[in-house]
Amino acid sequence: MATHEIFMPALSSTMTEGKIVEWLKKPGERVERGESVLVVESDKADMDVEAFQEGFLAVVLMEAGSTAPVGETIGLIVETEAEIAVAKAAAPAPVAAAAPTPVAAAPAAAVAAPAPPKPAPAAPVPPVPVAAPLPVAVPVRAGDGRVVATPRARKLAAQLGVALASLRGSGPNGRIQAEDVEQATGQPVSVPRVAEGTAPAMAVAGGNGAAAAPAAPAGQAFGRAGETVAFNTLQQAVVRNMNASLAVPCFHVGYTITTDRLDAFYKQVKAKGVTMTALLAKAVGMTLARHPQLNASASDAGMAYPASVNVAVAVAMDDGGLITPVLAAADRTDLYSLSRNWGDLVARSRSKQLKPEEYTTGTFTLSNLGMFGVDRFDAILPPGTGAILAVAASRPVVAALKDGSIAVRRQMQVNLTADHRVIYGTHAAAFLKDLADLIENRPETLAL
Amino acid sequence: MAPNTPAILFEARAPVPFPLAWDWQRRLQRRRLDDPSAPDALLLLQHTPCYTLGRGASLAHLGFDPDQPPLPLYRIDRGGEVTHHGPGQLVLYPVLDLQRHGGDLHLYLRALEDVVLAVLRELGLEGERLEGLTGVWLEGRKLAAIGVGARRWISQHGLALNVDGSLEGFKAIVPCGLADRPVARLADWLPSLTPEQVAPLLLAAFARRFGLTLRPPRPQEGLGES
Repeated sequence: MATHEIFMPALSSTMTEGKIVEWLKKPGERVERGESVLVVESDKADMDVEAFQEGFLAVVLMEAGSTAPVGETIGLIVETEAEIAVAKAAAPAPVAAAAPTPVAAAPAAAVAAPAPPKPAPAAPVPPVPVAAPLPVAVPVRAGDGRVVATPRARKLAAQLGVALASLRGSGPNGRIQAEDVEQATGQPVSVPRVAEGTAPAMAVAGGNGAAAAPAAPAGQAFGRAGETVAFNTLQQAVVRNMNASLAVPCFHVGYTITTDRLDAFYKQVKAKGVTMTALLAKAVGMTLARHPQLNASASDAGMAYPASVNVAVAVAMDDGGLITPVLAAADRTDLYSLSRNWGDLVARSRSKQLKPEEYTTGTFTLSNLGMFGVDRFDAILPPGTGAILAVAASRPVVAALKDGSIAVRRQMQVNLTADHRVIYGTHAAAFLKDLADLIENRPETLAL
Repeated sequence: MAPNTPAILFEARAPVPFPLAWDWQRRLQRRRLDDPSAPDALLLLQHTPCYTLGRGASLAHLGFDPDQPPLPLYRIDRGGEVTHHGPGQLVLYPVLDLQRHGGDLHLYLRALEDVVLAVLRELGLEGERLEGLTGVWLEGRKLAAIGVGARRWISQHGLALNVDGSLEGFKAIVPCGLADRPVARLADWLPSLTPEQVAPLLLAAFARRFGLTLRPPRPQEGLGES
């Protein structure tokens, strides 16, 4: 029998979950290819979701009014009427409106909240979407022995060689989530080790997720002594990019930025789910918007000015290689969306679920080793961009102030690597000066 | 996308009843679905007084019996809560293939806000966005409401900017479900301003933001009377 899943679509790169407003078809009803089956809402935008196959809507897994993560299976379409009953028997009970996630909006709640799909400002958003803590422990086995798992979990299980049938699902009605698969392989459910940019060293003392990761073995290696190990795909990509960088005439410009106000502001907004990566990306994005030269890159035709400011953030993968998930339109996207978006990107980069446009469209890159206490470093320019900023740890230092007094201030060093064909010293200096001014004097504006 | 792609502009001369304009939008959307190479289109008009409810809208925001509305009431296929339309309010309904404009509904909402913010700037006013509250605001009052719908990334509905005219109709509802957020019109700041003066600014800002060149419809592209 052929069962086709209907997934929660992504209406936006900043959308992590959507609300089902209405099912336009009832279970058992016939659907034509291209016909609208349901309507999904995110903020003040509605989208009709269409059937890609003709057949019958067999099962609605998420009722109208409920909220589901992007990519979640929300309904099933079968090809023949006879298959409806089979699919029904195999499927878990539909999730009622209030159940699916901690921030799910029951219809009444949706009225109170101005923007239903967004979590209430006070609700902390973990960097990684963790399965809803529903006390379900029974592996869901349908009548035909089918295991119920999210598409992401299935893909991940296939990649990691995990037998789904052996797992207990933590999702709604015991559905197996990607996190369950990760846990089964012994992978910690956390952000990648070098990933979550948590610049100031405070993250080491209990920051926003990176610090919560279990202690990594000292010094990562991919092979044993005496061995030569082939590059994996991701590592090969890094090799190509690094070799390509040798053709680019780069130079470096450094700047010391005082972060006391940024750190204080971060403490205020941390509870709202804001991450240091999002703060830094937003600061860089806003500054880039005023310094388009730093957002430009060299091309055969000349200096290319991208249509938007997309800040890529370098993330090291546990299994080797490096990926640069992109915070699109970082200058125009609000801080809270950036934070949520970053959490989602990191989670999906770990499970190799990123679409190419989510890691290849950066126009400027941020690399942060601050969480390890690194006090300065420089970065290699990714191909197709004009500049990358290396951010080191923020540390208390004895500083001589302008009025001649001496005080302890938290300072971090940033180091810009730029392609001199496009970006000159004065451009880099002006950009860094403005970035420092924003971080030192007006960090609150990052939330506007 | 390539800058200055042509787009068809439909401008109504007189206030249009909501169902008629909705029908136009759906016909334009249908055209795009049937012919993906068809150009983007834009409707600029004012409505005769009415209320509209988004698909997920709550009736609790109506200050009247939905069976006995003081003005015509329509439940329509856009996101968002109840709003009011009437003469003096410029309504812009873009029927765009959003996949050519970023393929991102949230960015589209932000882009529509950009358009209104640009118009305000040209009028010497500094409008603002409020986090989580789609729309354009001036001194804490809402000047423009935004709500969109899409099918296969072809948009309909759009933005409504209050220029002059009465705001009385808003008193019977909780606009957009926001009880403590008053509604305003541009004429509250610029008393002699008319929709006719704002319309060209709005169209120019829209064309600029979306990289479109607006042109009138050709005879075969008509929507019947307008």
